[in-house]
Amino acid sequence: MTAKRKIGLMLIALVAICGLFAPYLAPFNPVSSGIDPLEGASARHWLGTDPLGRDVLSRVIYGARISLMVGIGAALIAAVIGVPVGLMAGYFRGRIDLVLVQIIDIFIALPGLVLALIVTAMLGAKALNLALVLGFVSSPTVARLVRGQALQVRQTAYVEAARAAGGGPAWIMVRHVWPNIMRTVSAQFAITVSYAIFTSASLSFLGLGVPPPTPDWGGMVREGFEYLSVLPLLSLGPGAAVAVTVMAFYLIGSSVE
Amino acid sequence: MGAHLIRRISLMIPNVFILTFLLFSGVTTFLGSPAALMLGEEASPEAIRQINEKFGFDRPVLTQYANWVANAATGDFGRSYSTQQSVGAMILPALPMTLELSAWAIILAVAAATIINSIPFARKSVEGISSLLCIIGITIPNFFLGICFIYILSVRLRWLPTTGWVPWSSGIGSHLTHLIMPVLTLTAFYFGSFSLIYKAEYRAISQQLFVKVARAKGLGEIAISFKHILPNSILPVITYAGLSLGQLVGGAVVTESVFSMPGIGRLLVNSIGARDFPVMLAIGMIVIVGVMIMNLLADLLYGLVNPVVRLAD
Amino acid sequence: MVRIAKAGGAFLMGLALFLWVPGGAVKAAEPVKGGTLNVGFFDDTKTLDPVYSVALSERQILFLMFDNLIDIGPDFSLKPSLATSWEYQNGEKRILLHLRADVKFHDGTDFDADAVKWNLDWRMLPETNSPARSQLASAIDNVEVVDKATVAINLKQPFPPLLSLLTDRAGLMESPAAVKKYGKDFGGNPVGTGPFVFKSWTRGSRIELERNSAYWQKGQPYLDRVIFSDISTAVVGSQRLTTGELDFVAQITPQNARLLESSPDIKLVQISVGNWYALQWHWDKPPFSNAKLRQAVAQAVDRQKINALLWSGKGRIANSETPPGLWWSPSDQEHYSYDPAQAKKLLAESGYDTAIEIPLSAPSDTALRQLVQLVKENLEAIGLKVRLEPIAQSEWYARAVAKQINFTPMRWTLRADPDGLIQFLFDTKGAANSTGYSNPEVDKLIAQARGTSDIATRKNIYDQIHQYIAEDLPYVSLAFSGEFVAMNKKVDGFVQMPDLIPRYRTLWKNQ
Repeated sequence: MTAKRKIGLMLIALVAICGLFAPYLAPFNPVSSGIDPLEGASARHWLGTDPLGRDVLSRVIYGARISLMVGIGAALIAAVIGVPVGLMAGYFRGRIDLVLVQIIDIFIALPGLVLALIVTAMLGAKALNLALVLGFVSSPTVARLVRGQALQVRQTAYVEAARAAGGGPAWIMVRHVWPNIMRTVSAQFAITVSYAIFTSASLSFLGLGVPPPTPDWGGMVREGFEYLSVLPLLSLGPGAAVAVTVMAFYLIGSSVE
Repeated sequence: MGAHLIRRISLMIPNVFILTFLLFSGVTTFLGSPAALMLGEEASPEAIRQINEKFGFDRPVLTQYANWVANAATGDFGRSYSTQQSVGAMILPALPMTLELSAWAIILAVAAATIINSIPFARKSVEGISSLLCIIGITIPNFFLGICFIYILSVRLRWLPTTGWVPWSSGIGSHLTHLIMPVLTLTAFYFGSFSLIYKAEYRAISQQLFVKVARAKGLGEIAISFKHILPNSILPVITYAGLSLGQLVGGAVVTESVFSMPGIGRLLVNSIGARDFPVMLAIGMIVIVGVMIMNLLADLLYGLVNPVVRLAD
Repeated sequence: MVRIAKAGGAFLMGLALFLWVPGGAVKAAEPVKGGTLNVGFFDDTKTLDPVYSVALSERQILFLMFDNLIDIGPDFSLKPSLATSWEYQNGEKRILLHLRADVKFHDGTDFDADAVKWNLDWRMLPETNSPARSQLASAIDNVEVVDKATVAINLKQPFPPLLSLLTDRAGLMESPAAVKKYGKDFGGNPVGTGPFVFKSWTRGSRIELERNSAYWQKGQPYLDRVIFSDISTAVVGSQRLTTGELDFVAQITPQNARLLESSPDIKLVQISVGNWYALQWHWDKPPFSNAKLRQAVAQAVDRQKINALLWSGKGRIANSETPPGLWWSPSDQEHYSYDPAQAKKLLAESGYDTAIEIPLSAPSDTALRQLVQLVKENLEAIGLKVRLEPIAQSEWYARAVAKQINFTPMRWTLRADPDGLIQFLFDTKGAANSTGYSNPEVDKLIAQARGTSDIATRKNIYDQIHQYIAEDLPYVSLAFSGEFVAMNKKVDGFVQMPDLIPRYRTLWKNQ
């Protein structure tokens, strides 16, 4: 296993543990206001407290939950939409392929952030909506990738033989095409998670993410930005969390080649 | 070539209409009755009916869309709900700012991507660093990078101002100094993806015969890398950079927000927060049309130079 | 009296701070000419037309480009401005204003009685749709041009608060010729008589004003230019103050003030009474038409904690919209103490179904955003479910005042006359009555209080009004904010005004 992968997996494990075990790991309740606002890092509060006296470390730990939910949710949706579309286009070719490629091409060039901005404004900034939009926006890339792979695999001897033997398309796709493209799909899955967390954090930073007081890394950076000159940890802490998580998933996804 | 061009354009046009129609119907359906927004909750049904008639809100979406497109073609995007200004007058001053920021960033990113990724060919030791830089460029969230820059260069070292923009009238030096951090932040954003493309092409080119010939002739590795491989590998990056111009708004949104710059990105974010449809729609349309056109140009450019792609289409 | 002492005290403190620090102290209070003042402000500016202006951030800019008919002093007393003197006639149903003769608008046209009549008539026209309309039209019968330098305002009945109204937006005189020329776009091309002329406006970012060299007050203004730059929050403003990019930032919270205390280039002035913060709701509709529910909320909110966290304890708990120390401050008042147990009881008695979520508007401004999170905590502690609904700051105020938001925090600055805020908010027909509050007894009392200029009588009436309001709870009064104004040590001439709007026209910059 390459160094890249090792580092990626370790970081993901760290983030996942924070997300899953937040109630046990976090020293304080992340949403209850306290009486010592804007304290710097101390033994009691490792990352200090925010303007409402809440422990920053606890909020960063809990923040992993929203990020992971949105990230993994988006990647799942991208896969659910993109994989079947790509498979159909790559395997059936001909007119189906042409139509699907046209549709894919329409959407693939659109800037994800702008689309996400507009759509979450329409539907409301709940974690579910974010995952839906970001998943939808990432699905063309998945579809294209799957289509390319499917096209290649289709030519192989396995598939020719299977068709000659009279196997139906669905059976062939599942039995032969899918296992060969699974590696690429899972790599792309990781990259989509990375992209989704990146974009949803940007949305929260712009003030269009989940509403307070839910701890959310992008939103915390936004609030902490105001206090940059005296309490840089308020914004740099959650910001680093986003950077680390995004990098971790990207490392995994890009190390599969 | 001509037939190809015509085919691409004729494919593009219906796409633009489909997308802008989706945008239009989405905004008007989901974001609430414009009449209620204009008049307030207490509006009598009579008053709402009058507004609907006056502005045509009660007509089918398709009709409203057609009207909007017809007006937009003449440059009339209506008036902002928030400021009552003409939308065109709001967008026009903001556009050059975003263009300037992005242009600087894209040019710098192309330069950085090509140079930083050409060095490892000659100096293997640099391989690790350039890879690391690529990964950081791709993954680091630009709001985080921007804030880091502000903290280090502005708050601690006091070298640079905290905002990203003053008008040219305040002096060129001042204008450019304010731009340094936002441009750096946005450059990192593009640098990552440009690097990926460049490295792929570079790898392919560097396997080719003429490289081996050059080496046999005794040319130094640096010279080979920069004088021979680079010029041949740079084309995809440039076409991709052109594509990125279409992504103008998306890239700049966050950077403009961090550095308080009055560009299109920030205008979009504000208009969304304020439910200001006319502005949202206008910017949305600009983005869609811009992206489509840049895609077309980039594809054509690539097709021009790489006949293989064209044939396979 | 107490108010003057407080204002004076604050000023002296500011002066003392200023003089006491070595290295930057200037002995003489001689105004220095020239220089650019860079002001940081929270930009929710929609228009620079006083006829339509609603947002708080607009007032400070309007006061530079326009003059009022009558001015106010730091103690809310009336002072001459474009009107040099005034007198009552006809049993206080007619006010005669004597105008300055040597004033011109920035576009060269004359300021005269015709212009004044035009300004007031224009605001009262239904078609204009000005927010100032109802307050003016309810009192004014007609405006008469007596001669070029004299205007008579004929009232429907005596209305003492009118003169105070003319010190604010309703009395800011704009050029009729310019309005005719620009029409709807006057808001982006303002023309007044003030010490500064409009130069440019980059929406959401920057407004530039330049010295009016033909200003009627000779020798003024001192500054060459005033530039307003948007700052997203007071702390960003503080940062830019310390780097020297900005010279002046208002609405600094005590927390931020602490950060600035140690800066050698900055001086702080504590504002004696800050903004009034409260919670408001749609009083006339469910769920908040339920009196016991309102009382439960009033007793569930921990105002001490809010004061402690938002203003480092430097604010003051508020039991009504009027702070102590003014002639109309309520003497004896019912107030709601922080008592979660009692609040739970009241909630049970109200019969409200606590399973239903209550949306609470969460504007993006720092203080308001933090406030609603604390309120949510308090309400959830007594069993209510609250959902915060973020809204862009620039839209929040306009929407709330247009009755589009049910449950929201709100804040107001003081007006020179009690009628100003009380009629505005609590009269059934009040222009800013966005709670739907309606009490015929209160309406009667408000009309009564308007009809006489005897202070003792009016105070008595306002006491009764305050009693009703405290019982009816159209608002839950929270606190008066603790605020500071921070400026570069070079800036001089600052005088605190009780409406919290900085008057930059009196400032100068020492070199």
